[in-house]
Amino acid sequence: MKKLIAMLLTSTMVLSMSATAFAADESDAAYVKEKGTLVVGITDFAPMDYKEEGSDEWVGFDADMAKAFAESLGVEVEFVEIDWDNKIMELDGKTIDCVWNGMTLTDEVTSAMECSNAYCKNAQVVVVPEDVADQYQDTDSLKDLIFAVEAGSAGEAEVTALELECTPVKAQADALMEVSAGTSDAAVIDLLMAAAMIGEGTGYENLTHTVELNSEEYGVGFRKGSDLAEALNEFFAASYEDGSMTECAEKYGVQDAIVEQK
Amino acid sequence: MAILEVEHICKSFNHTEILKDISFSLEKGQVLSIIGSSGSGKTTLLRCLNFLEHPDRGVIRVNGETLLDTENPSTWQESSIRKKRLHFGLVFQSFNLFPQYTALENVMLAKELLAKEQPDYKKRKKEIHEEIRVHAQELLRQMGLENRMGNYPHQLSGGQCQRVAIARALALQPDILCFDEPTSALDPELTGEVLKVIRELADKNTTMIIVTHEMSFARDVASEVIFMDDGYILEQGDPHQVFEHPKEERTRQFLSHFTQG
Amino acid sequence: MEQIMEQMPIVLHSLNIGFLQTLKLFFVTLLGALPLGLLISFGSMSRFRPLGIFSKLVVGIVRGTPLMIQLLIIFYFPGLVLHNPIWGSGEAGRFTAASVSFILNYACYFSEIYRGGIQSVPIGQEEAGLVLGMTKTQIFFRVKLLQMIKRIVPPMSNEIITLVKDTSLARIIALQEIIWAGQAFMKGSQGISGQIWPLFFTAVYYLIFNGILTVLLSRLEKKLDYFR
Repeated sequence: MKKLIAMLLTSTMVLSMSATAFAADESDAAYVKEKGTLVVGITDFAPMDYKEEGSDEWVGFDADMAKAFAESLGVEVEFVEIDWDNKIMELDGKTIDCVWNGMTLTDEVTSAMECSNAYCKNAQVVVVPEDVADQYQDTDSLKDLIFAVEAGSAGEAEVTALELECTPVKAQADALMEVSAGTSDAAVIDLLMAAAMIGEGTGYENLTHTVELNSEEYGVGFRKGSDLAEALNEFFAASYEDGSMTECAEKYGVQDAIVEQK
Repeated sequence: MAILEVEHICKSFNHTEILKDISFSLEKGQVLSIIGSSGSGKTTLLRCLNFLEHPDRGVIRVNGETLLDTENPSTWQESSIRKKRLHFGLVFQSFNLFPQYTALENVMLAKELLAKEQPDYKKRKKEIHEEIRVHAQELLRQMGLENRMGNYPHQLSGGQCQRVAIARALALQPDILCFDEPTSALDPELTGEVLKVIRELADKNTTMIIVTHEMSFARDVASEVIFMDDGYILEQGDPHQVFEHPKEERTRQFLSHFTQG
Repeated sequence: MEQIMEQMPIVLHSLNIGFLQTLKLFFVTLLGALPLGLLISFGSMSRFRPLGIFSKLVVGIVRGTPLMIQLLIIFYFPGLVLHNPIWGSGEAGRFTAASVSFILNYACYFSEIYRGGIQSVPIGQEEAGLVLGMTKTQIFFRVKLLQMIKRIVPPMSNEIITLVKDTSLARIIALQEIIWAGQAFMKGSQGISGQIWPLFFTAVYYLIFNGILTVLLSRLEKKLDYFR
């Protein structure tokens, strides 16, 4: 019995340590080139990675840039939908090669992954029902509200920093539903997402966004120690230089959010 | 020559001796009744003869062929035991019919499986199948079950089930047919029909060993009677002698329970 | 309501694709776990001690841990710890890993049902077969198997219907089954976002499929009613 417990403990430790154990003893770029495919972990997230109605192809600002990057490496690109909570495990387990999905560069993200330079700006915004929107136009007016936020999101970090009362939920979409259903007073979600999901013509016509809490930046995540991050930075610089990055951004209406690449 | 010779059979379970040096022989066409109180080892003896138990010691010979000799381990090989079992038939106290087969299928099943081992089975498949069916129907008719062939066991009375079980055992034409208290699980009014069938078999000179508590039946039908007590054969002889003039006090005691009741 | 009617064709198309994945996982699991369960039940009834102990240990571990954890370990462990991502990338890899987890998990549950079924067939059936010169294999297939099946159909039906619903656990390794497909419309997919009704609507698929299964299984039960 003692032996069994010892074995269980050891294997658990190996499992948890291995997340950081990836050593750069081998070039990640070489690994990807050898297998000939860059596997990109994504979620369905317009306008970064999504499918047009009736189409089976992933498009979007991130998706198109990922295709171009893979081409520059001389490999195929393969998009795989992942569970966002498991993104680090997916990377370290080599079931994907990068996370390229409007990922906010937080401390947690940058400590667990090898991240590219920021390429896109975003903000966390407060979402409230439209009929009460006038009352909540600055940070001070927010203190009596109960917020719904995605657990582990940048929005949650902002709300906690302001010492506001909040309920963590599973996804940003759930946070919106809380507000819509009246079970929470307000939500904090990504600006890009808010633009796509609330207001006229969406499922949440009665919601609107008001205060911008914090601006943040998107980056692409690779395995810790991967040399692909540097390769992507060079690719970003080149495509910003020749204007192809801006051209791609214009196609999806995010040109104002682009960060200059040097 | 004796059809069956049993020598010095011993058998223990968990250090309890159930059979202590059993020897007897049986002539072809004889009917042997084994009587004795519960726990005297009668059923274990039958199970040894049918290779359901492995005796610790002893020899079993049929028609002069040694089927089992505990001194010679080569006689206890899984592969050969299956064939040796076919010298004996066994009718259980609780019938043990196969519930998912009809009366006719119960009688035919084992024979059909054995037929597959014949070298010319593939060529004569239909013919063989037909022979087996006709034979099985004939046996069930002998048992008075011509109207019950298509019935499943749960649709039959206990007496009818036991008669199907007898037909099933006869289908393989064993040298010796064994009965393990064939009427003990039956309602009293149903024992008669089963005993009648066994009596008819005796009239046709079928070699049989019958373990039973039906004393008057044992006396009527048997040509030889064995009284077993505490793992030994205490008394053996023709029915007249054992039932009317038992030599042993223990036999007299045992029989008195029945004459009084 | 009008909006829902407009979105319906897109949603149904997505849900159908998701449900196809659910069905695929369901049938592959059944196909693998039904025979594997029988092997494991023989293992745990084996008179060869090490095999018996090993089988019981496997069954104990699998039944004693959540299927969700098994999915995560089976999918991520090879790549994370052994640095050998055996499942490959893309949906096919995820499906293979999910199938392996489900087959192993359900085979263990099935094996215990089989064991109960086999042991509930009276010993007299085997003895009757032996006395009639049948081999152990013949006795198992021609005598005991059907009696065992008759006894295990009700508990099996339970497990099979649970399996239909359990397939949704595979979404933890991002296998895009029907609940994943339904949830996509909450976050936003194919121009529809913030909609929760597609997720609720997936229940209809489960209900209909389980309804069909229930009818088929109770028919099987009736069919075996001809003997007792």
